[in-house]
Amino acid sequence: MSVRIAGMGWITPLGRGIDEVWNRLLRGDEASPQTISLNEGTKTYQGFLVPNEALNNLPPHPRLRRASAISRFAATAGLDAMAQAKAMGLKIEMERLALVFAVSNGGVAYTKRFYHDIVESGAQSASPLLFPETVFNAPASHLAAILGVNGASYTIVGDGAVGILGIKMASDLLEMGAANHCLVVAAEEADWLLCDAYHKWRLIKSSPPIELFSNHPHGTILSEGAGAVLLGREGSVKMDSINAGGNFSQRRNSTAVVNRILQELRDQTAFVVASANGTFVDLAERDAIRQQIPNSIVYSPKAALGESVGASALWQVIIASRALAAKQLPPMRHVAENAGLRFPAGENGIGLNAIVSSCGLNQQAAGLRLSI
Amino acid sequence: MSTFNALNGITAKPRVAIVAAGIISPLGFGLTETLHSLRSATDCVSAVSRFDVSQCRCKTAAQIPDQRLLVYRQKGRINARLHRASHMLIAALAELLERDQEFKPEVTVIGTTSGGMSFGEDYYRALHRHERLRRSAEWVANYPAQKPVLDAQNAFGISAPCFVIANACASGTNAIGRAFECIQAGRYERVLTGGYDALSELVFVGFDSLQAATPEKCRPFDRDRTGMVIGEGAALLALENLASASKRNATILAEIIGYGISTDNHHLTQPDPSGSGPRRAMEQALQSAGCAPERVDYINAHGTATPFNDAAEGKAISELFGRVPVSSTKSMIGHSLGAAGAIEAVICLLALRSQFLPPNINFRASDPNLDLNVVANESREAKIDIVISNSFGFGGTNASVLIRKAAA
Repeated sequence: MSVRIAGMGWITPLGRGIDEVWNRLLRGDEASPQTISLNEGTKTYQGFLVPNEALNNLPPHPRLRRASAISRFAATAGLDAMAQAKAMGLKIEMERLALVFAVSNGGVAYTKRFYHDIVESGAQSASPLLFPETVFNAPASHLAAILGVNGASYTIVGDGAVGILGIKMASDLLEMGAANHCLVVAAEEADWLLCDAYHKWRLIKSSPPIELFSNHPHGTILSEGAGAVLLGREGSVKMDSINAGGNFSQRRNSTAVVNRILQELRDQTAFVVASANGTFVDLAERDAIRQQIPNSIVYSPKAALGESVGASALWQVIIASRALAAKQLPPMRHVAENAGLRFPAGENGIGLNAIVSSCGLNQQAAGLRLSI
Repeated sequence: MSTFNALNGITAKPRVAIVAAGIISPLGFGLTETLHSLRSATDCVSAVSRFDVSQCRCKTAAQIPDQRLLVYRQKGRINARLHRASHMLIAALAELLERDQEFKPEVTVIGTTSGGMSFGEDYYRALHRHERLRRSAEWVANYPAQKPVLDAQNAFGISAPCFVIANACASGTNAIGRAFECIQAGRYERVLTGGYDALSELVFVGFDSLQAATPEKCRPFDRDRTGMVIGEGAALLALENLASASKRNATILAEIIGYGISTDNHHLTQPDPSGSGPRRAMEQALQSAGCAPERVDYINAHGTATPFNDAAEGKAISELFGRVPVSSTKSMIGHSLGAAGAIEAVICLLALRSQFLPPNINFRASDPNLDLNVVANESREAKIDIVISNSFGFGGTNASVLIRKAAA
């Protein structure tokens, strides 16, 4: 059987909804940076945050009453993907629906609050209400409860490549007949603590723009939101191949791993939706693309949307899927002039297939190829 | 890679063998020590030494001594900056590979709940004290949940793609179940699977704040049970298509024959009192194995010793299996969260290999509301062929695996 995309949902710093975000990307819009601070006197960071109005119209489900931002993002994207599929006339048997939730950093804001109370005032002040929301699978649990999923539900954790691994897991579940449909949701929330940690890790820069494919990467800007794809046997966009990739113990080995992935996925008629984000990832992808598919058009959404870590690969899949349907890629800005890659120039005929390349910041890389 | 059965024309699914295992838990380092401690019903719970618990109700946990973990570092296999969880997984993988040096996994599926959480705690405490964060990059890089798994793989030159499942306390069993399904569906021939979790202050205090952790002894299924104690550890299993394992003359330790997963939407932290979630997971595991409940000889229960969890699981067990012997080995080693399912699968493996029932210690009085045949306080010799291991977790995740003794 072929696994296809039957519905999609998207919540990003550029708004909510497949068409809304896609049209803004086509117009060349970029998310506006916001200052993220901890308290007075501490260092501030800039991040791309989801606008409050994007979370309007969430169902008044009791599970969302105290839920973290990441749970709300996941619920929004997941429910939108289901709604899109249903609007297309798709019938989904809930007892045959599986859920795969992909995440990298999880509910950082609540975890920080919970631990802050312990550090500040001792264990006696720890909140029993907050603790369960800090668990990685809390967003999946809330979404499962809202949707009524009572079968397989998996939360998987990894770096930026985890979204591809989630799709791989979902695809396996569908192909082995464990479910008729599988909703894959990936989400992340931005928080001061995360910015500070990535800053100490020398991966983020102080302010936009994110410059892509530079010989000397200056860093990325963190963002937040969620993406969701409902996988099944229906839909025009097909998963041709999914490569669960491999690992690189040192950054200098990342090119070799991405190279191997692209070698397996390569198709001379494909365009690439890359994960380049202004870090070492750009160099790994640039070199691998030059070697394996030098004539392909390359697009990375991260200058416009930021680095949403666990959510990022699903955002790339959504863009690839939408670009295949529209036969068009959004314009790319802030690209190094000497990158030696082909970037979108508003032309039609971008390619018949799309390769999504995801090289994470912490040793994992994976990829997939889509066609329409 | 299903095989066509010429006798009846049915395409048979590949059978899934356990060809090697490695374990590090409060019961000991390795299968031999673990077996000895299980048979002698060792209570591994002691006062918490890693962080301050003076303000907690519960002040005990089942812990792994750091000194022994350092042995591997001294052998030059471990970078000293890695998290304890990495050290544990490396120790478990070392044992597994010593037992089957030819095992080359195509993919790795591992469960955890909190990754390198204590490094996150170190980071936050240093920030809070306005200290210089000299080790910050190291803490951040080694904090993510996939990192200990990749560290272990790197230590032995393995570069398989890595799926890290974080389904709360069911993670380890979910990982084994997924690995089983991957081989049974013909997607892979060899999968490395298991789970890990290292003790952390945040998680310890979290369970304490919920009053799920006990200030007393951990007494699963006891009338007077008052909650869990936290544990830690890592366990790994080498799963392989049985035909492929037999072909290369690998030792078949046991077979995974069934897996069930269900989601209970009753509450984020509490099970549906009817026990319907656990029951569905166990039924599905039986169904996937084509096995009647009467054929199950022993149940390694999730058995956290919290009043609600044991009541729901006990109800499901007695309804489905009647008086089949049941024990919760968490009474000895505490609840090692994402590692629990993997550690308990290895315990089941040892029980099948040595034909005994692991004990449920600290048991004093039967719960009048639970009709269970608890393996109370001492291990028992028994003839067992098929066992089931349960894990349930926050978020309503329920998982069960069915394990069968290797054919003689």
